[in-house]
Amino acid sequence: MKQFFSLCILCLLLATAKPAQADIARPKPSPDQPRVVLRTSLKIVPDSKSYEARLQISQSSLQELRAALTNTQANESMAQRIVHSSTRTMLAGVFMFLSLSFAGVWLARSVQARGQKTITALLMGAAVIGGAVIIARANAGPPGVWTWRRLPQNLSKGTTTNGAIDIEIVPDPSDGSGMKLIIPIRPE
Amino acid sequence: MERTANIDLAAWRPRKLAGSHPLTARFFVGLLICCACLSALLASWLPLQFSVITVFLFAGPHNWFELRYFLMRLPVRFGKSRNFFLTAFVGIGFLTLAYVALPVVYAFNLWPDYAWPMILASWNTLLLLWLGLLVWLRGKQKPKQDWSWAIPVTLGLCSINWLAPEFFSLAIVYLHPLVALWFLDRHLRRTRPAWLRAYRRCLWLLPLLVAGMFWQLALTPALPDDNGLFWRITQHAGAQLLPNISSHMLVAVHVFLEMLHYGVWLIALPLIAPLAKAADGRHTLRERGRIWDVKTLPLARHPRGFPKLIVTALAFGVFLVAILWIGFSVNYATTRDIYFTVAIAHVLAEAPFLLKML
Repeated sequence: MKQFFSLCILCLLLATAKPAQADIARPKPSPDQPRVVLRTSLKIVPDSKSYEARLQISQSSLQELRAALTNTQANESMAQRIVHSSTRTMLAGVFMFLSLSFAGVWLARSVQARGQKTITALLMGAAVIGGAVIIARANAGPPGVWTWRRLPQNLSKGTTTNGAIDIEIVPDPSDGSGMKLIIPIRPE
Repeated sequence: MERTANIDLAAWRPRKLAGSHPLTARFFVGLLICCACLSALLASWLPLQFSVITVFLFAGPHNWFELRYFLMRLPVRFGKSRNFFLTAFVGIGFLTLAYVALPVVYAFNLWPDYAWPMILASWNTLLLLWLGLLVWLRGKQKPKQDWSWAIPVTLGLCSINWLAPEFFSLAIVYLHPLVALWFLDRHLRRTRPAWLRAYRRCLWLLPLLVAGMFWQLALTPALPDDNGLFWRITQHAGAQLLPNISSHMLVAVHVFLEMLHYGVWLIALPLIAPLAKAADGRHTLRERGRIWDVKTLPLARHPRGFPKLIVTALAFGVFLVAILWIGFSVNYATTRDIYFTVAIAHVLAEAPFLLKML
């Protein structure tokens, strides 16, 4: 009788759980995140002789932008291709991890103590250089807020400011405005 | 049994043969240098035309000679190498079928375009893991040597492959012709060790010739690839993947390496093989030089061998060569596409037989 009662309770629980779960409100659709299609550099040049603001884009930057917009991978560099495929990058990393692990085991088992030290030093050196390369590639320069911090002073002085910029594709704004330039400047 | 089958290649008296045949090391080296220089010259001069001609003339026959060579190297009984050969044949079959299926799948448009690099990388990974397994199995047969380095190397290559699968496939296109030179090296070591040093010195000519071609052709304008055939040839050489390098140079280097590859299988190895075979004293040099004589193959000659099967395989090979020539005559571009797809089998087959010679 006790078991039957427990079973009934369980059935009731399951029966009520489903409608309760179904009654949960749908999650709100997340707003469209801006998609970074290209990272390039931007130079802001104050020109006292000009009457119109101008945007100059180099031929290569335009081609890269066009390729990024059309999602064509034909003219991408190897680095861009790697960046655009996270699955492949992850698998490459997994295989590299396995390779280095097995290489370490093989070294420990096969090479004599003296040779081990030499090869370990070589491997360590290679790893340090590799790590430095990765850091250099992954973080080429300080963050944008650092490079753009002197923009107000430079503008007032009439000198050029140079820094990195991400070109993002965003949904059409409701106010009908065109391009927007967001500069990371902290108020002093 | 396996040892019995390999006696022909192991038993060798170079001194006796050196005096019994007019072919000298100097003649061999001269022939090698002349062939290499002539190939580089012709490939640089008219790369597209010579690509068409060499594939038409030599692609099929060189495969037949490779088949014959592999049959010569195959033991009558696998013995301790059973696992190695089983892995080799299963791998060749599976990878070939998968490779041939790729263009068919592409034609049916089953996967989106962006997925193809991953599919290509997956096939390359399977190839590398298969090669790594073969090296490991071969290493197990050599207790005095440690071949376990193959595992980290294989995994490292897998990693590079996943970063740039298209470039990895292109590397196979350029590296495969060089495997023939390695075969020749191992064969000379067994049969004409006195020539080995001279041969290895000749190999230094190869990077010099490639560097010379690079120097001469780096700034040449791109080859006209306005028709389907020429476009296929430039794509095969990697013109799309390496847009900043002259397609003239890419095709020329590829044709040059292919010509060397064909030269090794069609001229160098048959030239040396009869000499090697005559050492046992059971057949004269002339008899041993007959490529049609299946009795020169241990697999057919051995009392427990398969002479009928070998005859059938070689005859079928001749038939396929004839079919290939007819196909090239009727529709060269399509036949070339089909050939280079199916020919992956011979690229794969070279790996286990080369490993067995190491």
